[in-house]
Amino acid sequence: MIQLRNVSKIYPNGARALVDVNLKIDKGEFVFLVGPSGAGKSTLIKLFYRDETPTRGQVQINGKNLVRMKEREVPYLRRSIGVIFQDFKLLPNKTVQENVAFALEVIGVSRKEVRARTSNMLELVGLAGKENAFPNELSGGEQQRVCVARAIINNPALLIADEPTGNLDPETAWGIMDLLFNINKRGTTIVMATHARAIVNKMQKRVIAIENGRVARDEEMGGYGYDV
Amino acid sequence: MTFNFPRYILRETGHSMKRNPWLSIASVLTVMVSLVILGFSIFFLANASNVAQSFESQLEIAAFVKDDATAVQVQTLQSQIQGMTGVASVTIVTKQQALADFGKNMGGSQSNLVTDLGGTNPFPDKLTIKATNPQDVENLAAAISALPEIDTVRYGQGYVDKLLQFTKWLRWIGFGVVGAFSVASVVLISINVKMNVFSKRREIQIMKLVGASNGFIRWPFLIEGLTLGLLGGGLAALVVGMGYNWITMYIQSTLTFLPVVRNVVLFRQVLGGLLLAGMAMGAVGSGVSLQKFLHS
Ligand SMILES: Nc1ncnc2c1ncn2[C@@H]1O[C@H](COP(=O)(O)OP(=O)(O)OP(=O)(O)O)[C@@H](O)[C@H]1O
Ligand SMILES: [Mg+2]
Repeated sequence: MIQLRNVSKIYPNGARALVDVNLKIDKGEFVFLVGPSGAGKSTLIKLFYRDETPTRGQVQINGKNLVRMKEREVPYLRRSIGVIFQDFKLLPNKTVQENVAFALEVIGVSRKEVRARTSNMLELVGLAGKENAFPNELSGGEQQRVCVARAIINNPALLIADEPTGNLDPETAWGIMDLLFNINKRGTTIVMATHARAIVNKMQKRVIAIENGRVARDEEMGGYGYDV
Repeated sequence: MTFNFPRYILRETGHSMKRNPWLSIASVLTVMVSLVILGFSIFFLANASNVAQSFESQLEIAAFVKDDATAVQVQTLQSQIQGMTGVASVTIVTKQQALADFGKNMGGSQSNLVTDLGGTNPFPDKLTIKATNPQDVENLAAAISALPEIDTVRYGQGYVDKLLQFTKWLRWIGFGVVGAFSVASVVLISINVKMNVFSKRREIQIMKLVGASNGFIRWPFLIEGLTLGLLGGGLAALVVGMGYNWITMYIQSTLTFLPVVRNVVLFRQVLGGLLLAGMAMGAVGSGVSLQKFLHS
């Protein structure tokens, strides 16, 4: 599903975000990415949906080489990947329902189907009743859940989550985790960057720790680590 | 089309026009001004060539007979010229007639006029020749002026030449002015679209991250440019159409001798052309600014 070979990423300002990363994630896996702030987790994740390209090395998603990928193929790659962004990235002049619907509209789903699937999804993430609110009228946690809904609405083969529970109270956070767990059980590969120790320790999934842009630890059924 | 793409485009276009109303208005107005000038120039040129043609078809040659010719000689001249090929008619205007006409025009009495003019009639005998073919006029005039009894020959070629010369200049000036305004229109529309693209750059980035293709993102901006151009073209067509109608009616009722072009087919073609030209300006304007932006 995901394969990185000797990947390094140096930002134009000289920041060395990733150094010689090798990584293989199989279809259907659930992987936690942990590590201190600024370690390079978001940068790694951005390589997967080609928001960034590596300075050196190769990135392969579903057999496709993202380094050699043509610009016009990128939208199709992104439609097969759901992303829960660390900063949500909601469209400010669109309502909750329009934001979620947008992921379906770009792939040309009919209006009727869009409406039905959108309201189902909003129910699922606990946002029923907020359909016509604008993002700036929502709490951080609510915005995050809109982002979750948009990411999973078109059943992506790969779901990438950058701190999907960062702004949620423990109870809502567990609700989202249940959702992700169920999606994973249906076959979706999930990569989730997080600082949520309790969640990582409880779920007992594969854990990859990034430190200073390098893979510091990679264990099946791991824990959060960094214990005090 | 699966989901309601047209509605999506209209909504986006409306949003962006509301965001920058003054810039939108400025764009529409420059398109309009350039196309109004274009429209009127075309109609003016059509009329100028029409006038030139009708002058040409009415071409006459005036041949003035030498002072010492007798009345008999003048009559012989008349039949001699009548015999030339390409001559439709020859009429004699005697010096007496010319004097009388002049007097009538001046409103005085004839006897006084002659004494006023020093006791002699200053007008020569004149032959007015009508040619059957406008192209023959020049050669005919040359042949007539070569006759020994003829003093001078005058014909309208000079005026027609001047008019044609003038229309040629006007055409170039018109092209220049219309060209300059068209460039200004395209630039303004492209600034307009660019500003909207810029103000929506975050949204565009998000749309791309969610998997929207460039084509999908581009459409509303393209339609916005087209709409601005079309609005300008439509206003220009309105102004030119009504303006031309009014001007030609005015000319027909006051300067009745001026022939005006009132050709429905030409009218429709020009107005339709203005609409198309407006749309083209919009398309080029938004195309220019989208070209660069989306490839990042
Ligand atoms: N667009 C960018 N331009 C320049 N440097 C960047 C950019 N994005 C990230 N960096 C730098 O790259 C390094 C890794 O950043 P990254 O966002 O990947 O960290 P992270 O592990 O996701 O941290 P956090 O847990 O706080 O989200 C940091 O030093 C950061 O300053
Ligand atoms: Mg991060």
